[in-house]
Amino acid sequence: MATLLQPEKVLYLVRGEKKIRVPLSQLYFCRYCSELRSLECVSHEVDSHFCPSCLENMPSAEAKLKKNRCANCFDCPCCMHTLSTRATNIPAPLPDDPTKTTMKKAYYLACGFCRWTSRDVGMADKSVASGGWQEPENPHTQRINKLIEYYQQLAQREKLERDRKKLARRRPFMPQAFSQHTIHVVEKYGLGTRLQRQRSGAPISALYGLSLKEGEDQKEITIEPAQALDEVEPLPEDYYTRPVNLPEVTTLRQRLLQPDFQPAGASQLHPRHKHLLMKRSLRCRKCEHNLSKPEFNPTSIKFKIQLVAVSYIPEVRIMSIPNLRHMKESQVLLTLTNPVENITHVSLYTCEEEDPDDINSTAKVLVPSKELVLAGKDAAAEYDELAEPQGFQDDPDVVTFRKSNKIGFFIKVIPQREEGDVTVAFKLRHDFRNLAAPIRNTEEVEATSEAIWLTHHVELSLGPLAT
Amino acid sequence: PQETGAVVCVESDIRGDVTIGARTVVHPKARIIAEAGPIVIGEGNLIEEQALIINSFPENILPDAEDIEPKTMSIGFNNVFEVGCVSQALKIGDNNVIESKAEVGRSVILSSGCIVGACCAVNTCEVIPENTVIYGSECLRRVQTERPQPQTLQLDFLMKILPNYHHLKKTVKASSTPARS
Repeated sequence: MATLLQPEKVLYLVRGEKKIRVPLSQLYFCRYCSELRSLECVSHEVDSHFCPSCLENMPSAEAKLKKNRCANCFDCPCCMHTLSTRATNIPAPLPDDPTKTTMKKAYYLACGFCRWTSRDVGMADKSVASGGWQEPENPHTQRINKLIEYYQQLAQREKLERDRKKLARRRPFMPQAFSQHTIHVVEKYGLGTRLQRQRSGAPISALYGLSLKEGEDQKEITIEPAQALDEVEPLPEDYYTRPVNLPEVTTLRQRLLQPDFQPAGASQLHPRHKHLLMKRSLRCRKCEHNLSKPEFNPTSIKFKIQLVAVSYIPEVRIMSIPNLRHMKESQVLLTLTNPVENITHVSLYTCEEEDPDDINSTAKVLVPSKELVLAGKDAAAEYDELAEPQGFQDDPDVVTFRKSNKIGFFIKVIPQREEGDVTVAFKLRHDFRNLAAPIRNTEEVEATSEAIWLTHHVELSLGPLAT
Repeated sequence: PQETGAVVCVESDIRGDVTIGARTVVHPKARIIAEAGPIVIGEGNLIEEQALIINSFPENILPDAEDIEPKTMSIGFNNVFEVGCVSQALKIGDNNVIESKAEVGRSVILSSGCIVGACCAVNTCEVIPENTVIYGSECLRRVQTERPQPQTLQLDFLMKILPNYHHLKKTVKASSTPARS
């Protein structure tokens, strides 16, 4: 029975740029646009970076400097688990008196999962618990840095050209050009959204108010082209005949996690600093309001703003499915849950004949024609044993049970196909009170919030036909 | 038992002809079953709870057939059998670690310094080379440069503490015939 509670059984349709069918638990609801939003129709922004093992926060600038890696934590190069520091006692001669030996602590890195230690690659034990471990230097760093600087300069010039053209053409619409091209577009080569002051003769645009990088030297950076070599080192003679030492060969995954070196032998696998994870916030693309904003603290899982769909839209869940037979009418029991605190009226409609959204259904469905009323969610109701009956007149053919903010009701399903899974679709229409809208007349006693009617397209997958 | 002699708790289940060396600790609820032959366990081993060391008949041979010779299962010294592991290997060397819920089949021979990782099942017919580590859900292997350390500290601690809380089995000199299930 637990399989019926799986969220993938009930899908809601999101009408964004693409039509996406997703369970309600994965959707967001923009209450300013009054529409459902999925992960694909919102813009994702990075909030903060943090290390998954030491939970240390890092400002974005520092993260970029350290190439998005934590300073203290290491990953095992063999199995990518987090490495832990272990200590041993080794006898070491006292600095004052070379003849006596005393126990000194030596630290090494070890993996708890695959038992890799830093001694396996020849890294000496360090005398400090943290901070002593260095990543090996990449011999090509200098050349790469120079190339990056050169290309960054080229990218800046391109952007200047582009902006100059845009601003020249669209003078009266300057703020628009700004918002489209500098908030959502990240520049090439990771420059971020830095803006540069133009030449002093040119008009200073509306971009002035934001962070300007102090005038960079316009010096030309030149690079030497790469040299092509004629001769290549020959392979060793026994390259084809030497037997392969399998434990020594690195797997592709181990090799590619270190793109600087890509060592072929396991004895050259050095540990790397751990990658940082990030917290992201989501923003509706149409009205630019935030839909989801997590807390800044990495140890906290709460949200400052959490406009998820399950707290605004009534949720349909499948409760029980009888044996479904081809062309025979059977009753499926569904539940509707009301997430908000006021009474909600829900009506269901079958899809029209030529409904463009209705592409997946393989059965006809008959939904209750009367309007269903859902009581508001009352947080204290579960503790109230003497709950008074709610006084709703329910048609016993349609509504089977009613429990605080949930009702169970029947729909009739007639599978149309002889084989395959049975899928039905219908429209769910409910009233939504927008509490975000400002109260117009403060003299009135009740806050009159307008009720608007929202319609959603819901698809249920009821599983295979009974044999 | 102080420095010599094994510490074998009464709650452990030992059946058949089993010889246990000195300084070995057998936790309660460990099971050592010598069905198809005797088991000889060396010194300094650590056999934790719910570990199963069994010298059983191979699956396709009936226990009542007469022409089977009892094969001795021998286990070296300083091995660790962690909680819930199953070992049927006939020959285990020294300084090996069989981690929790690992399974070692009958045709495997562990040499020295091998580590069979948690939940790994090794059923091949081979000799595992020295200092091999088997880990991961796909039983990947790698070679480490040094063998795992013997658990001397843990053994000393257990030999002091376990007699305070459990009754111990006394050693039986006479060897009994192998039990048949």
